[in-house]
Amino acid sequence: MIMFLIKKSDVLEIAKELGKEYQVLGPVVDTDSGQTFFEKTEPELIQLKAPIPSVPPKYTVFPQIETLMRYRYDRESKAVEIRELYEAKPKALFGLRSCDLSGLLCLDRFFLGQEFVDEAYRVHRKKMFIVTNTCVTPFKNCFCVCTDSGPAAEEGYDLNLTELDDVYLVEAGSDKGRELAERMGLEKADESYAVKKKEAVDKSVSLFEEFATDSKAWISRVMNRVTTGFIREDVWEYIGDQCFECGACTFVCPSCSCFNIVDVNNADGSSERLRTWDSCSYEGYSRMAGGHNPRKPVEDRRNKRFFCKLSYSQMKKYLRPGCVGCGRCAWVCPGNIGLPKVVEYVRRETHK
Amino acid sequence: MKVTTIVNVPEVVTIDEIREEIKDVKTFYLSFDKKEYQDTFKIRSGQFVMCTVFGSGEFAVSLPPSPENDRFHLTVKKVGKVTTALHELEPGDKLGIRGPFGNGFPFEEIKGKNVIYVAGGIGLIPLRSSIVHVLQHKEEFGRVIVMHGAQTPEALMYKDNLKEWQNFDGFETYITVDNPTPDWTGETGFVHTLFDKANLPVENTVAFVCGPPIMFNTVIGELMKRGISDESIYSTLERHMKCGVGKCQHCAIGRTLVCTDGPVYTFRQIKTLGEEI
Repeated sequence: MIMFLIKKSDVLEIAKELGKEYQVLGPVVDTDSGQTFFEKTEPELIQLKAPIPSVPPKYTVFPQIETLMRYRYDRESKAVEIRELYEAKPKALFGLRSCDLSGLLCLDRFFLGQEFVDEAYRVHRKKMFIVTNTCVTPFKNCFCVCTDSGPAAEEGYDLNLTELDDVYLVEAGSDKGRELAERMGLEKADESYAVKKKEAVDKSVSLFEEFATDSKAWISRVMNRVTTGFIREDVWEYIGDQCFECGACTFVCPSCSCFNIVDVNNADGSSERLRTWDSCSYEGYSRMAGGHNPRKPVEDRRNKRFFCKLSYSQMKKYLRPGCVGCGRCAWVCPGNIGLPKVVEYVRRETHK
Repeated sequence: MKVTTIVNVPEVVTIDEIREEIKDVKTFYLSFDKKEYQDTFKIRSGQFVMCTVFGSGEFAVSLPPSPENDRFHLTVKKVGKVTTALHELEPGDKLGIRGPFGNGFPFEEIKGKNVIYVAGGIGLIPLRSSIVHVLQHKEEFGRVIVMHGAQTPEALMYKDNLKEWQNFDGFETYITVDNPTPDWTGETGFVHTLFDKANLPVENTVAFVCGPPIMFNTVIGELMKRGISDESIYSTLERHMKCGVGKCQHCAIGRTLVCTDGPVYTFRQIKTLGEEI
């Protein structure tokens, strides 16, 4: 691993350098709501210490709504024109938390690593520069230590930043990352900084008990049960009863990737094929034309989501658990069935 | 030869001919506008395509043509928004096709065996491809029994094909209706009531079953009672689908996806899926 150092006050110079080539996105705290958003911003406005963003940056590779193609069919002349619209600007994600990077890696393996490659995703993803930021203290709703996705990123970044006293340690995870650091003339870091980083990460892990008070998820034992299906039906019913079917958990999840496709007609006679986020919590999700719905009861649909997050068969697709421990689902759920709570209910066999 | 799968952008086809099969069910004979696809678009029995009706949307539909020596066509029932729009089209109109997707029936594994087809109503549509394929290669199979049940004589699918199969030397074809009309001279009753009459083989036998859920469960129960194992009973499942390539997840059933792991499953697999069919 090649490591560099940058003065704390200069760390945004990296974002500025990236801004010459990429559209820079980073965490910015909204002054009115106090929420963090990961969005397109001027590099100097990035707040690296901001809490994890309310919405994960998965929208940068998998937008909430996107046009896949535009077509026009003239029935008179029987002429069809189809234009595919896969396009994306090169983006630099600066200050990504390791949970969100893990979510991105799940999506990479799912969209790019299966039998078919998802072209729209590939176009977004291929021109991307990723700078992660080690969480030296956990936030309230975090449980990445339970899902093997933090507090420091281990793979998949171009540069990783770790705050150490008055400097940031800058680790290069790719040639692209190393070249950028060298181009900026960053000072090389010696091996002692690897030890310092390890100490910082260990300290962060030790702080979970104190800071991450919202969520605890002992997921390994529950993964076994979810995979084998040895969970009482009335436990799912108990969980299903608390589901408002709002879909919020799926939309804020860094690894949820279900989508819907619709064709909409424009006033000028052309049509667009749109892909939008979809949620397995919606009743219409599995309803077929004609009305038959094999997965009508809400508990059957909840069951499906937690199967995706916690089963081994899904792990084979993601090469890691589907849950990345960011805690957002627990944060947004109007019921009380964020993933950590579900894990608890399954573990304790809580039922009606 | 190069075989194409159309994954992202649909290829344009022209409707050459439309045939009314039964009430609300039409067959659309299609040809690709780009000539190269006429040669490279190869299907396996049991696969499906995604069909775009321009201005309305896209739906998943099974492939009734045999992989060889058959016209490319789709048979579609009018049930929802997109299929209703499709039924309003005329010869000369254009559609979009992606695919073919899915696993298909395992012909290599069933060579030399007796084959039973049990189709209820429009369940004959996805089985037609396989039946015609077996007909074209009858010498590779043992007894071939085709059983088709429908609610009324008018609701029998592919009437011309049924006649052909009834007259084909080497096929045993049974047809029955639930509610006969006065001029109906054939069998009446549910399709499984013909099993005794057909003297169904059990050893070295596979069965393909497709139809509405109620018929599906009864037929499979009867087949298994006779000693045909759940591994030798195949069916093809239907699910709401958006992409066809394992990404949108709408067709998830158990730990599998109907689009890439299916749509053909053995009954043994179906039992482990743990979900309603």
